[in-house]
Amino acid sequence: MSIAIEKISKSYGRFTALDDVSLTIDNGELVALLGPSGSGKTTLLRVIAGLESPDSGRIRLRDKESTHLNAARRGIGFVFQHYALFRHMTIFENVAFGLRVQRGGTRLTRREIRNRVDELLSLVQLDSYGRMYPDQLSGGQRQRVALARALAVRPSVLLLDEPFSALDAKVRKDLRNWLRRIHDELNVTTVLVTHDQEEALEVADRVAILNRGALEQYGTPQEIYDHPVSPFVYNFLGNVNLFRGRLLADLSPSMESITERNSASVIGFVRPHEFQVSLSLPEDRRAVQATIERVHAAGPQVRLDVKVDGNKNLVAVDLSKAQYSDLELAEGKEVFLSPQAIRVFDDRAAAEQLVDQGAGI
Amino acid sequence: MTRVILVVAALFFVALFLVLPLVAVFAQAFALGWRIYIDAIRERDVLAALRLTLLVAAIAVPLNVAFGIAASWAITRFDFIGKNLLVSLIDIPLAVSPVVAGLMYIELFGLHGWLGPWLSQHNMHIVFAVPGLVLATIFVTFPFVARELIPFMQAQGSDEEEAAVVLGAGGWSIFWRVTLPNIKWALLYGTILAASRSIGEFGAVSVLSGHIRGRTVTLPLEVEMLYNEYNFTAAFAAASLLSLAAVITLIVKKAIEIISGVHTPPSKEDFAE
Repeated sequence: MSIAIEKISKSYGRFTALDDVSLTIDNGELVALLGPSGSGKTTLLRVIAGLESPDSGRIRLRDKESTHLNAARRGIGFVFQHYALFRHMTIFENVAFGLRVQRGGTRLTRREIRNRVDELLSLVQLDSYGRMYPDQLSGGQRQRVALARALAVRPSVLLLDEPFSALDAKVRKDLRNWLRRIHDELNVTTVLVTHDQEEALEVADRVAILNRGALEQYGTPQEIYDHPVSPFVYNFLGNVNLFRGRLLADLSPSMESITERNSASVIGFVRPHEFQVSLSLPEDRRAVQATIERVHAAGPQVRLDVKVDGNKNLVAVDLSKAQYSDLELAEGKEVFLSPQAIRVFDDRAAAEQLVDQGAGI
Repeated sequence: MTRVILVVAALFFVALFLVLPLVAVFAQAFALGWRIYIDAIRERDVLAALRLTLLVAAIAVPLNVAFGIAASWAITRFDFIGKNLLVSLIDIPLAVSPVVAGLMYIELFGLHGWLGPWLSQHNMHIVFAVPGLVLATIFVTFPFVARELIPFMQAQGSDEEEAAVVLGAGGWSIFWRVTLPNIKWALLYGTILAASRSIGEFGAVSVLSGHIRGRTVTLPLEVEMLYNEYNFTAAFAAASLLSLAAVITLIVKKAIEIISGVHTPPSKEDFAE
């Protein structure tokens, strides 16, 4: 086990940044800490790095008690959101910094430092940039320098704080894939903080979802996507329809219900691609009638915005282009929607979580 | 048209109130020829005053630099109780008249002051001696370095220092390799301002000096004393030295602005990926 986070709490005045968070990260794993702003994900990363000290709880790094270990001695590589390159040093000197400040017998000779830096610059594909200054590089290049600098000291753990959030969409995607390749190549335990669920689900081995300083769910991207444990996770992953109502009977064959049957009000989630669209009421009668308000046909799928009777928000439905043309759908047409999968949560417990997210459809 | 009027008006006022008096100082100093000027400057008391002025500045400025860096570091990098109070206190010397500052030290260290009797028992002389001049100068130049550094360090943030910590650097290493190179121009700028103020300081120093010629008289005090003795040429000759120091300060200051401007690059992404 590479990182063990045990019951960490931290508050700033009356604001609770972390509330009893426990989490373990295995050797060589890439874990994403995912959550909205203020969820405590960056605080948790800084606690692991030793840049913040927790009010209570313990941190173990490589099975060694490290809660009060100085950040300089944790053997950690840290990549900051805004790069934090040393602006008065060349790219070469930036990468060499960690090697030059090492004390005692571990210090490398000038020649070894040169070789190591050259090797790293080549790893991040910036071989010929050694003599330039940070301000002469683009954002993406700077972040690669920051990564090379963090890797120079051969850290056992690499921590990245929203490393790509200041970059534009295209560069962000490229760097994300590239980070995954570097991680696989070096096999260094990596923790990545992000507020972008797509980034987290795509790049990480496991995703930890944080909400208001507490750990909401921890699992593989597939587990998280297929089995969100709470309305918060469902909503945060996005792209989902929300229904409020009373649970009368099973609506779909694969419904997973965590509430008592026939209970009071519930919230149901259905993803847009989980609807069966038909022109007439299906035989089992498990469908709702709706009117197509808008059709978005640009893209690999067709997205319908439909109005369900008695529901003031529009419902999003995805279907394939083939289905769309077979059914001869158009704006204004009446259809029947049968959910193939629906996840139901007790309304009272859920409502609390959803209010501050501005949840809707 | 408005622009022309504004520019002309500004230039006119600058010429009338700043340039003309400066020229007058030099004109008056050289009125009887440059031989007399040289003689006036080589006068024993004037040279002593010059030496004392430079000595006082040489002690006060480094102390203020050390204090300024320490205070700015503490204020911008740490949270502690009384931080806002400290920030406000740093400004006191800017708000208090230097004469009042001088009187405060008299009250504190003078023969009849709070610490005076104890000091004189232990044969330590502060008032009407060089230590008093140094204290007064430190007081009036107290805010210059810190005032310059605090907003600068606040704007820079502590990211680079945190990066250095995580990379394994110790406190000194971080200061010399990361912090100091980043603040060097702001620091130099503040130092120049503090130096120029400490050379020119009159009020506080005047109260604490005792005006003992050749021993506790700094250049600005010497100028006043010569003038009061109707020794105009000598007074203006000494004054021209102070003016020269001011002009040099301005040039150095401008040079720093230009050089540091070159080294402060636009932080935009000028280069495409």
